[in-house]
Parts: sequence; structure tokens; C-alpha cells
Amino acid sequence: GGYMQSPGGFGSPAGTQAEKKQRIRSQNIVPCTVSQLLAAEQVDETFRICDVEISQVTIMGIIRHAEKAPTNILYKVDDMTAAPMDVRQWVDTDEAGGENVVVPPGTYVKVAGHLRSFQNKKSLVAFKIMPLENMNEFTTHILEIVNAHMILRKNLMSASRAPQSFSSGGISDVGGYGGGGSLPVNGLTAHQSQVLNLIKNCPVPEGMSLQELKLQLHNMSMSTIKQAVEFLSSEGHIYSTVDDDHYKSTDAE
Amino acid sequence: MGDVHEVPRPRIATAHLAQHIGQPVCFVGRVEKIHPTGKLFVLSDGEGKHTTVELSEPLDEEISGVLEVVGRVTNQATIMCMSYVQFREDKSPFDLELYNEALKIIHEFPEYFPFS
Repeated sequence: GGYMQSPGGFGSPAGTQAEKKQRIRSQNIVPCTVSQLLAAEQVDETFRICDVEISQVTIMGIIRHAEKAPTNILYKVDDMTAAPMDVRQWVDTDEAGGENVVVPPGTYVKVAGHLRSFQNKKSLVAFKIMPLENMNEFTTHILEIVNAHMILRKNLMSASRAPQSFSSGGISDVGGYGGGGSLPVNGLTAHQSQVLNLIKNCPVPEGMSLQELKLQLHNMSMSTIKQAVEFLSSEGHIYSTVDDDHYKSTDAE
Repeated sequence: MGDVHEVPRPRIATAHLAQHIGQPVCFVGRVEKIHPTGKLFVLSDGEGKHTTVELSEPLDEEISGVLEVVGRVTNQATIMCMSYVQFREDKSPFDLELYNEALKIIHEFPEYFPFS
């Protein structure tokens, strides 16, 4: 799968009205409906769904049609949200024994690929087509679509205004674009969020010191706090002031 | 059989039939009973509510388990079936109740799951 790029790079210290509309550059692989892909707007080389940039996507649907050509297989994949979408899979003609197996119509598949547009017609170039063995994955995919688009859009909105807390309505652990283990929402773990919030709310000009943080965060060890501070600093959420023990938030008013 | 597959078909449960009279829909449910003529069968959704599905030609195969039906809602709030697919359950059973929960989510957030 892909990985979620933290929105931290957008906390520029300037943060003023001169800021243009910012957008999250997507290095994710985003689960989508066919209807979303058809509605995506193309500007130069990039596609956007409601300002969220997309490139690599996954869709899930049923194969309605499969046509084999010498260099590629053209499928039509239907997920009920629109007309079936053209999905092209290039065939490796050098492969000994040569036959790429064509997935038969009537099969539910998960497709991972790149969105393309040619003469105003959208299609996908698939790098992976997998028949579903467990239809519950389909239910999960539906939920992942809502979750992904909700989080991606909310990240956009909070990156372009003075953000409050980073909590979003989305479910935090989603496979495919999350990365492993305990997936942070918006790129921050619970510890990092707590540290950031304290630093943000500190009114003192020289910012918050590590000692202050330790006093307020009884449950966190100093090394956990330092790790959080290091991460937040490298992501651009905070910066050191008078010395390496004092930090201010880049988003503070 | 062609045209209904070229347009958006909202995924619905039995409770939503009345709101989609005359429209193409996609319904997933478990086979409860099949009429002896083979031209009618009943599916239950994730809430246990029943929907009647009609066919223009009698069934030419056994159906059982979970079916996904594409068709148009009739004035009597049944579904005139254009095509159906059986969900494979050979490796794992399909959790229809969870699917119903997912339907609630996509109905609540149509901006994140549009049916064109």
C-alpha cells in the first residue's frame, strides 16, 4: 500500500492572509468510487477530487467485460456508482509461456492503478487486479472510501485556515494508505498531538520549555516528550526559540 | 438488460425502496425463499427486512446465500431484476449486518460516496 504524508509541511511560520489555497500533495493510494474518478478535474498533469490531489487509486467492482489484445487486457469494471470504467492492464509479452490470465466477467475485483484521461475519457491503468476472495473486503472498501475522502478533505481545510485541534471525524486505522500499526490521524500520534496542543496554547513569547511540558504531561517520560518534540519540529509544526529547550508552534496566532 | 448498468445504481436496503420507485438500484440480501415458478424470490437485508425480486425470465440455476441484485424499483416497491451476482462465501461468510451499517454511512455522507 501507500503511506500518508503528514500535513506538517504546511505550518509555515508566515501563515498569513497571503497564503494561497494550500493543498495536500497526495502520495497516497486513495480508495475511490468510479463516480469520484469520473468527476475528478484535471489541471495539467494532476487530477483533483474536490481539491484533493489523486493519482494512484483503488477501486472495487465487478468485471462486466474483458477483452484481450496482444499487449493489454481491457476490462470494464462496475461499482454501481456510475457506468463501468475502462481498466487497462498491460501484458508482459516477454513472459515465457506468455498468457496473462484474463479475469472472467462476473468476478468482483480490487483494482489498484493510475488515473488517466485521454480525449476527455477517464480510465485506469492497473498495476494490480485481484479477485476478491472475501466479500467483506468490499464492505471495508466502502467504509475506507468515506474515511479517506473525509480525512483528506478535512486536512485541506485545516491547512488553509488557522487550524484548531487536528482531530477529525474519521476512523483512525485504515489499511491501504495508512502504513502500519497504530495509525495516527493526520500524521500525529496521540502523544505528539498532546505535546503540540500544549505548545500551541502557550502564551509566553519564548514558548514552552521541555520542563514545562514534563510538568503538564505526567504520563509521558522525558524521552517520549523529546521524541515528540523532535518529530513535530522536523515536520514544521514547532520551532525552537531561545534555545533547544523552548518551542513555539508555527500555527500560533 | 444493458441500460440499467450504465447509470448510477444507489445501494439500498428494504427501508429505502419507497424512495426509489421507478429508479435503478443495487440491492444486496440473503435468499429467503424462491417462488416455484422461479420468477420471483425474496431477499432479506442486513436488518432482516424482506424485499421481493421479480424476474422477466425464470431462474435457470439454483440460487442461495447472498445475492447482489441490480434492477429497477417497481410501483409496488419490489425490484424488477436486470442482473444478479452471487457473493462468494466459500472462504468466509458475508457479514450482511456490517454491510447494512456501511449503507447507513454512505447514505449519511453522499459527498464522500457519490452516486453521480
